Amino acid sequence: MRMDRVWTIARKDIASARKHRYVLYGLIGIPLIFAVLIPLSMLYPVLLGEQITENDLPSFAVPGLEPKQAMALGLVQMSVLMFMLLPAIIPSVISSYTFVGEKVNRQLEPLLATPTTDAELLVGKLMGAFVPAMLSTLISFAGFVVIVDALTFPLFGRLLLPDWISLVVLLVFCPLVGLAATSFCVVISAKVSDVRAAMQLGALSVLPPMGFYFLFTAGIVRLNWLSIVIFGALLACLSVGLLALGRARFGREEILVRWR
Amino acid sequence: MLDLALLDFLFTSKVQVLEMTQPAIETRALTRKFGNTVAVRDLSLRVRRGEVFALLGPNGAGKTTTVRMLSCLIRPSAGTALVAGNDIIQDALKIREVVGLLPENPGLYPELSAYYTLDFYAKLYGVPASERKRRIRDLLELLGIWERRNEPVGRFSRGMQQKVAIARALVHDPEVLFLDEPTASLAPESAKVVREFIRKLRRKGRTILLCTHNLHEAEQLCDRVAILKTSLLTVGSPTELEREFGTQRVEIQLKRITARILQAVRRIGGVRKVKRGKRTLTVEVDDSSEVNPRIASAIVKAGGKIVWMKQASSLEEAYLKVVEST
Ligand SMILES: Nc1ncnc2c1ncn2[C@@H]1O[C@H](COP(=O)(O)OP(=O)(O)OP(=O)(O)O)[C@@H](O)[C@H]1O
Ligand SMILES: [Mg+2]
Repeated sequence: MRMDRVWTIARKDIASARKHRYVLYGLIGIPLIFAVLIPLSMLYPVLLGEQITENDLPSFAVPGLEPKQAMALGLVQMSVLMFMLLPAIIPSVISSYTFVGEKVNRQLEPLLATPTTDAELLVGKLMGAFVPAMLSTLISFAGFVVIVDALTFPLFGRLLLPDWISLVVLLVFCPLVGLAATSFCVVISAKVSDVRAAMQLGALSVLPPMGFYFLFTAGIVRLNWLSIVIFGALLACLSVGLLALGRARFGREEILVRWR
Repeated sequence: MLDLALLDFLFTSKVQVLEMTQPAIETRALTRKFGNTVAVRDLSLRVRRGEVFALLGPNGAGKTTTVRMLSCLIRPSAGTALVAGNDIIQDALKIREVVGLLPENPGLYPELSAYYTLDFYAKLYGVPASERKRRIRDLLELLGIWERRNEPVGRFSRGMQQKVAIARALVHDPEVLFLDEPTASLAPESAKVVREFIRKLRRKGRTILLCTHNLHEAEQLCDRVAILKTSLLTVGSPTELEREFGTQRVEIQLKRITARILQAVRRIGGVRKVKRGKRTLTVEVDDSSEVNPRIASAIVKAGGKIVWMKQASSLEEAYLKVVEST
């Protein structure tokens, strides 16, 4: 695989995506909500509020801490898990334009005529959605860390983030979710001929991270090594499976003849 | 030493001769089915190097399908083809490197500029960085778009977009060029620019296969044409097809038509039919290159004054006859 070709394709998709106003709004707006709005709206009231008693604690509170700390840390962990939604949502916004949009507007034929291999084309297209998604996730997370640490330092007397769980979520789970989401978009674009429909279907990628999130908030799963490893393995299987499925659908012949 | 040099010379010149005589495109019983419909059946064709060759045929005749097979976008169901000496199934990547394609639909990215678009494709075609700038500039200048290179192509008119698409097909200086309806939906003056451009490429020795519904254009531009309707119906130079299937017709505008002139023209051997208009004669002839000069001198001898003479396009007639007879 020639990485310069792959990167050329990815860069073009990023340039195209940036020129679509709604994609641009999404790329800036969604990460901003995650970085600023969520910590402020969830964490801030708790920190300002009355003293909490043991009995008031929700099921996701972290055991072994004094009640207010347990509540705050639980909320932080919850928000960290929500970050997995970013790499699930953003690729579907981008690739509904750069996959389905280009298919509908018949912009793929000249691209398929170039001396690039099917694999280079696929990886280039995947990266075109994956790279901006991961970049916004990372930047958004950095903002989130600063705000959370600023808010919680008085209560804990130490920096809560980044801890090992948040790093695993950011550096392992988020890329896996992003890979699954972009591969899923390839699978969708083989079938769907409408940008909006593709975007809505693509939003199904939020299901795995949402599932984990609800198991956590319901107190069924705690964040520990075991749950992290199991979820990670499931995510890895899912993204590799979807990638293989996308790869099977992504050939010149298939795109021109059957992608209608 | 001398022998070796001679051997070397003989060898290379032989290779060159081989390269010259080997066709640019050769298809052997090329067939493509989509489910139960046969789009192209048993197509065997040879396009010589440096030739401008047209595929003609009604809608759904399989022209686009043929071009897609030859540019290695879709695989044939049966048969093979060589393009620039490479097999379309085994050497697809190599073929994509040396051919340029203008698809039926230009498929540009409206949000990107002409320059970005060409630069993007030049990179994918592996044009070295040192050459990219110059080639893009040459092409855009030639097509009159250089001044507007940084505007998004979505703002361009249809004709300008088509020119960008043509430049895209040429950005890697391909040996063989496939043009699927290059002038469809262009205003006459834009179509003329494109045709001029095709002539220029021909002079540079490029092989061009084009699909068109414009028979006048095919007649003007092409060395040979093939008429296709799923199967190959006939192939030959426009004149050959006209001679075989059409009647050749010449129109002559005179100052005044007299009975004497009419009689003189009718008497010429090779004149089949003469129709008299107000001031024009329409004459059907067997072979215009033979008969037209004789008509002219007969008219002059009979005291007529010729304002103009025009050979009517008859490829259209030949085409219709061939297509309707199947
Ligand atoms: N992807 C496809 N799936 C099914 N049938 C197809 C497909 N592509 C082409 N065909 C069929 O193959 C036949 C030939 O089509 P093709 O586009 O090659 O014709 P064409 O000569 O280019 O026509 P036109 O002059 O209208 O461009 C048609 O009957 C068409 O319906
Ligand atoms: Mg066609």
